[in-house]
Amino acid sequence: MDEAGYIILLPIVVGVILFIFPDKVKIVKGLITLIISLLTSFFAIRLYQTESTIVDLSIFSGLIAKDSLLYESISGIGTYCQLNIDPLSQLITLGISFFAVIISIYSITNITKEKKLYHFFPFFLITLGCAIGAVLSDNLILFLIFWGILGFTLYKLIKGYDEESSAAAKKTLILIGASDSVMIIGIALIGMIADTYNMSELNISTSTGIGIMAFLTLLVGSFTKAGAFPFHTWIPDYTKKAPAPSSAYLPASLDKLLGIYLLARLCTDIFTLNQWLSLIILTLGVTTIIIAVLLALIQHDYKRLLGFHAVSQVGYMVVGFGLGTPLGIAAGLFHMLNHALYKSGLFLSAGSVYQQTGKSDLDELGGLSKSMPLTFIAALVFALSISGIPPLNGFASKWMIYQGIIDFGKQPGIANQLWIIWLALAVIGSALTLASFIKFITGIFMGRRNPELESVKEVNILMLIPKIILALICISFGAFATGYFVPEIFFPVVGKFEFVGVWQSSFISLLVVLSVILGLLIYLSGNIKNFRTADSFVGGEKWEEKAAFPVTGFYDTIRNAKVLKTIYDKAEKGWFDIYLLTKHLVLSSNKVLSKVHTGVLTDYAIWIFAGLSIMLIIYLSV
Amino acid sequence: MVADLFYYFIYPGFLFTAVVGGLIAGVDRKITARVQFRKGPPVLQPFYDFFKLLLVKETILPAKGSKITFLLAPVFAVFGASASAVLIMLPLLGIDAGFRGDVIVVFYLLTIPSLSYIIGALASGNPLAAIGGSREMKLIVSYEFTFILIIAGIILKAESSTSLYRIIEVQQTGNAFIGTASGVLLFIAAMFCIQAKLGLVPFDMGEAETEIGGGAFIEYSGSAYALIKLTKYMLFFTLPALIILFFMGGVQLTGIHILWSALKLIAVILLITLIRNTNPRLKTGQAMRFFLIWMNLFVIVAIVLSYLGY
Repeated sequence: MDEAGYIILLPIVVGVILFIFPDKVKIVKGLITLIISLLTSFFAIRLYQTESTIVDLSIFSGLIAKDSLLYESISGIGTYCQLNIDPLSQLITLGISFFAVIISIYSITNITKEKKLYHFFPFFLITLGCAIGAVLSDNLILFLIFWGILGFTLYKLIKGYDEESSAAAKKTLILIGASDSVMIIGIALIGMIADTYNMSELNISTSTGIGIMAFLTLLVGSFTKAGAFPFHTWIPDYTKKAPAPSSAYLPASLDKLLGIYLLARLCTDIFTLNQWLSLIILTLGVTTIIIAVLLALIQHDYKRLLGFHAVSQVGYMVVGFGLGTPLGIAAGLFHMLNHALYKSGLFLSAGSVYQQTGKSDLDELGGLSKSMPLTFIAALVFALSISGIPPLNGFASKWMIYQGIIDFGKQPGIANQLWIIWLALAVIGSALTLASFIKFITGIFMGRRNPELESVKEVNILMLIPKIILALICISFGAFATGYFVPEIFFPVVGKFEFVGVWQSSFISLLVVLSVILGLLIYLSGNIKNFRTADSFVGGEKWEEKAAFPVTGFYDTIRNAKVLKTIYDKAEKGWFDIYLLTKHLVLSSNKVLSKVHTGVLTDYAIWIFAGLSIMLIIYLSV
Repeated sequence: MVADLFYYFIYPGFLFTAVVGGLIAGVDRKITARVQFRKGPPVLQPFYDFFKLLLVKETILPAKGSKITFLLAPVFAVFGASASAVLIMLPLLGIDAGFRGDVIVVFYLLTIPSLSYIIGALASGNPLAAIGGSREMKLIVSYEFTFILIIAGIILKAESSTSLYRIIEVQQTGNAFIGTASGVLLFIAAMFCIQAKLGLVPFDMGEAETEIGGGAFIEYSGSAYALIKLTKYMLFFTLPALIILFFMGGVQLTGIHILWSALKLIAVILLITLIRNTNPRLKTGQAMRFFLIWMNLFVIVAIVLSYLGY
């Protein structure tokens, strides 16, 4: 079981060592990062093949003299350093190390071009080690330590170069930090109820008040990390300002894996849910889907648009876990993997576009499909995946979630009776996702090219390879979903289950290929060789060279629809942003408190005297 | 495997649907002409159109757009139409194949043609096509919600089964769904949904020939346009077939039942043609309101009714 130790310690130790290298040799640091990520993946694969066990990490005891005071104080450390290797943690570990490899390949050239972003690679590696540590640790306190470090590295992977980006970084740190402290309360409550901190030994019923409190506090941690409503607001701000590899690494892939991992542990191992909690989780899930996708629809900045989708997709995973059936949980986990694949791919594509053009507004881009063909094709695959177009992977996992919902509706129970609502909102969320990705793809790659962008070139090979790998995995996960990947990957985790409906992913994928061949044959049999190119026909009018219908205007009808307009206006003012709401509350209560601070010495003396008298009265009366 | 490929390409998939769909499109044009006191083209006109476009007409590609995406989009539209056609026709015609898909799969496959039109339109780089594409997308967003609610209603009536075979079986052992109050309401909403899916008046704002010169299809010509026409013909058969499957208990191909089956199809198509000939085009906002408020209300009432057993 040495892998378990190496896989956590190796990236952290190397990450710390990398701090002493100067930032001038970024490429060397990048290469070292890549090598370490590859090694970690190797260990992760070895770990994936082992039997599931609980490992006791009492390695420290050998290092210290037996009769020293230090030995006495840490001799009990074994119970706290317990690692849990089971199919779920093996799967997530493999996922984390895979994304680390993909994104470190991309970062080698991309990050070296970023100015003023210091120590990207050291923090990258520490994040990797801590993420794996959090996933593998069985003890809740050890878990919390790794989890806490992750919040800090997240903060360090965004650069604060202007006011807005500093604000985004601060918001992230405060929201994540606050959720961590809420989690400490939850873990303390668990310790109170169960007298152990080891997840594998816990099974808490949620029939008591304390049990429900403990569940909800830990749920806050999971939701904030994964970015589910109402704790999602750091993600869009973060992705707008952070460099693409950071967005792809944390909010798009690792934080989803971790947040959903915690949710999985909560829903399956640590707690047994009652039906009201299912109802709450499902409601939060569909709210996340709808609110985030509606906001994504009206964005002008494509990185922010992707950020809102990174929130919206979490809703599907949360719905899957809210169902609580093996099918639902497998669907949630499958969607988590798929989401990490296409969303990190989308962020990497967005980063490539940003690096080549320097523009982040959809209005200023357009027509890049000719200049960046491979990026375009990869981005199209990711966009169709996330919109759930068959036969890609996003469809497969969404289909499983829909099946889960329909199956769930057969049971009695309050949440079960409302299955039509969950189903309809989840499906419409997917249609709205498609709508906003039409805008994304059109705004960047299609339409007329802005004359300024004539000289734009494709990115270099190191930035292309990760996207191509991700796109190929998206396609193959979709094509072999029901036949191979779902039984292979998820049956060990959730147990065997039956699909309710029928989706023959491989055969329909074959039909896609055959249909394209058929289509090409029809083209070739026709008169296609006799073609000519001509400028656009716009009803015989002479239009200016730059005339185009801007994509940001696509959904103005929706933006200005009666009910939605008020929601959008409120959302833009930050009414749904828990961070801003808390900020206003704190600041306004501070205003009241600041009235006491008059600056007059006698007033302070009166306060002190009054306080003393109150304390005296309380003391005497007890 | 070979049998499945036969189902997909020949019968009852691609070729069969295309031929019947072409005939239906011809009948539709004939009826339209009669409504407008014209004589109208021969019933086989759609086939003449298709082969003329494919074999004779020259193809003009947009100079400013991305040509490959522009040309591939109709191919994927044909795929979406054929795949949904075969998955609907197999249970409808009572062929028990190993190749099947449930109602959610059909729902998603049916969005592929519209999506391909939009991507093709936007790839052309024409501003009018972009207007058409954005209108089409807004229309999709509005009717999809109604459509999934209708499907949820059908699933509810079919005893929580998503299998198309099961949906027919439940109706053939009991009563057709259209025989209940909730079924009638669902049927009305479903008729409007497929009207919008077919892009016919009053929901043709995406192409709007007289206003934005064909909108999404303005740049298409020759072979590429032939494929788009083909997709439209196929959907003209597939979607009415879906209505028959959902509400009228499917078809039976024995004895007198053949006549009934044909009558069901003719009734649905007549309804579609009459709606399209007696209505003006709606504005996008009006169409969105129509679906998002009125049709959804209809369907929700229907679902509540079917919970109560009506």
